Amino acid sequence: MTSRTAGAIVLLTLFSSPHASADEQEGITALQMEIEALQTEFANRISVLEAKLARLQGLPEPAAGAPLQPSKDTTPIITNKSAQEDPIQSASLTAPVAPATSGRRIFGNEFNPSVGIILNGAYRDYSSEMSEMAGFPIGHEGERGKEGFSVDHSELNFAANIDDKFSSKVTVAIAEHEGETEVELEEAFIQTLAGAGLPDGMSVMFGRGFWTLGYLNEHHNHADDFADRPLTNRVFLNNTFNDDGLEVTYILPADFYAEIGGGLFLGDDYPFGGADGGGVGAWSLFARTGGDIGYNHSWRLGAYLLSGSADNGRSSNDDDIFFVGDSDLYVADIRYTWAPTGNPRQKELTFQSEFFLNQEDGTYEDSALASGLVMFDEQSSGWYAQGVYKFNPNWRLGLRYSRLAPADTPAALFGGALDAADHDPQALAIMADWTNSEFSRLRLQYSLEELSDGQEDNQFTLQYIMSLGAHGAHKY
Amino acid sequence: MKHIFFTILTVFSSLFLAPGSADAKVRVFACEPEWASLAQSIGGNLVEAYSATHAAQDPHYIRARPSLIAKMRRADLIICSGAGLEEGWLPVLLQKAGNTKAQHGGPNFLLAANLVPLLETPVTLDRSMGDMHAQGNPHVHLNPHNIPPIATAIVERLKVIDGANLTTYEQNYETFLARWIAATSRWESEASDLKGRRIVTHHKSWTYLIDWLELKLVNTLEPKPGIPPNSSHLEQLLAQVNEAPVLAIVRSPYAPDQGSKWLSGKTGIPEAILPFTVGGEDEVTDLFSLFERTLDIFDGAVDAKS
Repeated sequence: MTSRTAGAIVLLTLFSSPHASADEQEGITALQMEIEALQTEFANRISVLEAKLARLQGLPEPAAGAPLQPSKDTTPIITNKSAQEDPIQSASLTAPVAPATSGRRIFGNEFNPSVGIILNGAYRDYSSEMSEMAGFPIGHEGERGKEGFSVDHSELNFAANIDDKFSSKVTVAIAEHEGETEVELEEAFIQTLAGAGLPDGMSVMFGRGFWTLGYLNEHHNHADDFADRPLTNRVFLNNTFNDDGLEVTYILPADFYAEIGGGLFLGDDYPFGGADGGGVGAWSLFARTGGDIGYNHSWRLGAYLLSGSADNGRSSNDDDIFFVGDSDLYVADIRYTWAPTGNPRQKELTFQSEFFLNQEDGTYEDSALASGLVMFDEQSSGWYAQGVYKFNPNWRLGLRYSRLAPADTPAALFGGALDAADHDPQALAIMADWTNSEFSRLRLQYSLEELSDGQEDNQFTLQYIMSLGAHGAHKY
Repeated sequence: MKHIFFTILTVFSSLFLAPGSADAKVRVFACEPEWASLAQSIGGNLVEAYSATHAAQDPHYIRARPSLIAKMRRADLIICSGAGLEEGWLPVLLQKAGNTKAQHGGPNFLLAANLVPLLETPVTLDRSMGDMHAQGNPHVHLNPHNIPPIATAIVERLKVIDGANLTTYEQNYETFLARWIAATSRWESEASDLKGRRIVTHHKSWTYLIDWLELKLVNTLEPKPGIPPNSSHLEQLLAQVNEAPVLAIVRSPYAPDQGSKWLSGKTGIPEAILPFTVGGEDEVTDLFSLFERTLDIFDGAVDAKS
């Protein structure tokens, strides 16, 4: 309707009187008819739109792009048409349907990469100035965190399905090393989806990732129950083994959970190092099993082997210690969870423990001692155990103990970083954390670390872990 | 040492490589008990329905446990609520299990929330509003009118998956639907006096039931979805309830009871612990008894009042 006709209608209504002339009367009738025609047209349009809306709501999964079956003619598909032919179905559809408050469909950002930002920062206070790990080579990441304020574990995640066969994930960490801000590519991998055409139960991950090795290694720091990793992961893996490589896992076709897998890696990440890019520097094999006991208990057990070599050498302890040779790392882990009320949202007890055995065969050199090359064929080990109790949806308490058993020190390395001087490094941690929602957590932790003989370190950590954007996964 | 490790690995793999029980039943993996029950009603003894959660659990807060991976690995039909309810664990299961049948949009994968009109679809989304589901409220099973379209989808999928028993599924489905429609109209006539009654609930789990029975939700004990009740919110709620009394304080068996007990103690308004899903009470063994018990409990509250 143009504004002019609208104006004419208003004028006519205002000035029309019961004594209107025949001409005027004719004009009014024409206008009335015009208005009626417009009303009918709008009514028709609205009913067409309503029908469209009803059809959209009645259709099964209109948003899912894939058809139910390849052929529409030969296989049954649920549509309104078939419903009309079936008396029972049509009865159900003509029965009053609850009205929806809104026909709008708003989806998350599943179709674009889901983006998540983890804000993970802390304030740390240490009583000891020194933190020397006796008897073990230790990488930079494995050392205790920076004292004072730090935002060292903030990270950015992107994840999405690429198509029907592949998914991917990228994690970039923004870390501060000696006053400089560095961007680290923690993860960048592709992974097969169930539609990739592999045998049922098989999955391949290719790229850089937190590989399957014990319980903690495949988890991100921000999902941990404590503010730092236990001594075992700090010493044997420099916190995390995330080399470049490829991993295949296979869930066996049993009623019971049983998984086997293995990987091939470049061999550049701790505990290996100095890969010259030629071939495969390391490989892994593992097997795990687990299950439920009744409704409220569940468990998982695993055994892992990571084997490889540092042919061109691995440096540690601020480049003081240099190792060339082979290492075999055996890991066993157990995890057990119990929901006392049956609902883990309310109360939950989790227990986990890992054991590491590391066999190294090669040469060590301690440049601080000017030791020269020292033959080395020894084994070291370590373990930790932790329990975390969630006593209401917001609060958890945790206790962790970790202990290491250093290798026998060759005489040529006496007095250096690799000389344990008959001391087993150990650490005790107690934490309490408050979880406001699935996206925010504050934690207070006290640790007593005794990494070398007589070096007692009382540590206090106040930590925040918040996530923006994508919803995290509830892994076991 | 390596030899020992290899031996253990080989023995372990061969132990489990023998395929498990090879019965011919269609294995249904349901994320929630209501869908396991519905699939069992339609499939009868031709299907074996497994529910990943039980009535005492909050289906949002589940871990991708080892046992669930094993079940997903061998499932023939997957039925979940969708709309973000299982977003923390279902994607992990699908990824880990590598079951070619378990794919979004495929014929063996059903999300109930995609089959019925959703309520409470937010127009704006902000995490400060609490645990919001972008697609709408996912607890769709509590309106009996939402059951038939989902039952229809299940029978269509079963007929494709197990074509040999097509007629049995068809018959079971028709029997179920006839019973269901009769029961729905019976419930509606019984519950007509509930119309317009005011209630308080713990979480927004009851939206579809409230919508169906035309109850009036005064407020929730949770200040925001997923945020546990706090004292200032409860005080405010107490004032609100004292001003205009309500019929009952409704919560599910898995919701914590402190908030509703406190409010009930202060006001004398009865707590109504509704079964919420199949298995929520011992006698609630299927969807029929779920609605029957729910209405019984409401009737009890009405009688107590008059």
